[in-house]
Amino acid sequence: MTDWTFRAVDVTKSYDDGKTFANDRITLHVEPGEVYGLLGPNGAGKTTLVKQVIGLLKPSSGTMNLGPHDLVDDPDAARQLCSYLPQAQMPINSFKTHEAIAITGMIRGGTAAAVAARRDALIEALDIGEWRDTLGAKLSGGVKRLVGFAMVTVWPGRVVILDEPTNDVDPLRRRLLWEQVRRLGDEGVAVFLVTHNVLEAEKSVDRLAIIDRGRILAEGTPSSLKQVDRGRLRLHVMLAPHTPTPELPPFVEDHTRVRSNLIAVISEAEAVHGIGWAQELMGIGIAEEYALAATTLEDVYVRLTGDVAAREPASS
Amino acid sequence: MTVAVIPALRTGPGYWWHSFVMMTRWEIVGLRLLLPITVFVQLLTGAGFVLGVGLFFGQIPSRAALFLSTGVIVITLATVGLVLGPQLIAAQKAENTYDFIWSLPVPRSTAAAAWIVTNAIIAVPGMVMALLVANLRYDIDLVVSAAIVPGALLTLYTATMLGYAIAHTVKQPMLINLITQVTIFALTGFSPVNFPKEQLPDWLAALNEFLPLSHMANVMRAGLTEGVVAGLARSYLALSLWAVAATLVTAFVLRRRA
Repeated sequence: MTDWTFRAVDVTKSYDDGKTFANDRITLHVEPGEVYGLLGPNGAGKTTLVKQVIGLLKPSSGTMNLGPHDLVDDPDAARQLCSYLPQAQMPINSFKTHEAIAITGMIRGGTAAAVAARRDALIEALDIGEWRDTLGAKLSGGVKRLVGFAMVTVWPGRVVILDEPTNDVDPLRRRLLWEQVRRLGDEGVAVFLVTHNVLEAEKSVDRLAIIDRGRILAEGTPSSLKQVDRGRLRLHVMLAPHTPTPELPPFVEDHTRVRSNLIAVISEAEAVHGIGWAQELMGIGIAEEYALAATTLEDVYVRLTGDVAAREPASS
Repeated sequence: MTVAVIPALRTGPGYWWHSFVMMTRWEIVGLRLLLPITVFVQLLTGAGFVLGVGLFFGQIPSRAALFLSTGVIVITLATVGLVLGPQLIAAQKAENTYDFIWSLPVPRSTAAAAWIVTNAIIAVPGMVMALLVANLRYDIDLVVSAAIVPGALLTLYTATMLGYAIAHTVKQPMLINLITQVTIFALTGFSPVNFPKEQLPDWLAALNEFLPLSHMANVMRAGLTEGVVAGLARSYLALSLWAVAATLVTAFVLRRRA
């Protein structure tokens, strides 16, 4: 039996004769049925990476394979095997919802009857039936996004690439969309999920890579990435605007400063001291409020990608 | 409900034909809001150009009227291929919808073929209208022969592929629009399309020998007149070379994936 795992090895995409790197030796694999998240700030190189998967861009070096197919050498195969929901809206202004989904499904190779059946199921599952006959030009951004999702998943192929699929979508339908993403995985499709919404991703992905400046900074399951922070708490101190980072007590193990947010990592045993310190800062007007919580994937993300330029140098 | 997992890659003539039919449907539905107005504008500009030049000059010699009327339909066809196509691709680039459209799993040639068919649907009514109006307004000897079919097809193909090559090669949408505007300006003003090449300065006439527009006019005019066109074989050859070049450039750019 063919192994349909997607494998990228040392994928590098450089511009300006190798002076700037959008992707820098990225190696990863996504198994059939796996929902794989690519997390990273704007400009991290996530979209550049997935555009190379679908054959819209060619890597400067490195390989990408899906089963027996070399996706770099054979972009025609890449387009048949992978479907792609770009970050931008779909060009469906003059399509009715049901037409846009059905035509795309048939372009992707489905027969009219099979595509129609799956389209109707998706329209119901995403709860967009009331716009079934509405022209794309008259749809709200969120509904248009859901129609786009249905277009690329109605006849999905082996890999589905979703670039920020929930943008503009209302909270209730977001849940419906995530259910469908999960279902794609259950059916054996490998899903590439590009996002900077860490909390949503934490609930939906099987594994993820945190990527910044073209490189993978960390990779694993959400819980394995949080492993490092087990037994630790995050003390989130909202500093008064334009205040320099205060001197940190010795029990603060790590900290990140993004604008007025000071996030200090402390061990559970130091919780009481941590609260005392935060209250002290509020007392002298340096801090406005604080919160103590369990670490989340977002902490891992912020720790890894927090803009160095925006951080204050650690007081010593 | 089971999700379709592709059993094998599609190949062969059946795949090509299915993709072509679906892409043509995609283009035509995609232009649903634009198609009626575009065809209407083509009808008006074709007839308007024929009548407008007549108003400007009052009395037009019948040979000039013949050149004008047969030239107008070349302009209609070339405008659709060289201007409308690139502008739509420029819009795809500006609105960031280019990536989705070009990630669809169809042979690139089917997207081009579908666009050529769409161009024909947009252009043909205007061309017929221009000829009818010219026939009513001026005393011209139109002799329509079967040669109009290959002439019009080659002109349509070359204009569309030239437009494609420009639109895919140039990255900036604004620049695409600028180039196509200049092209159409040169087409109407400085190429012997609406008038015989003897009316151009020698150097400009010589330059036009290397450009596709006068050859488009020649092969089209050959299918609509008798005893007017000279050097038809050379025009077919020149136009074919342009067609091949534009196809190769487009294929190269789409495969380069920079």
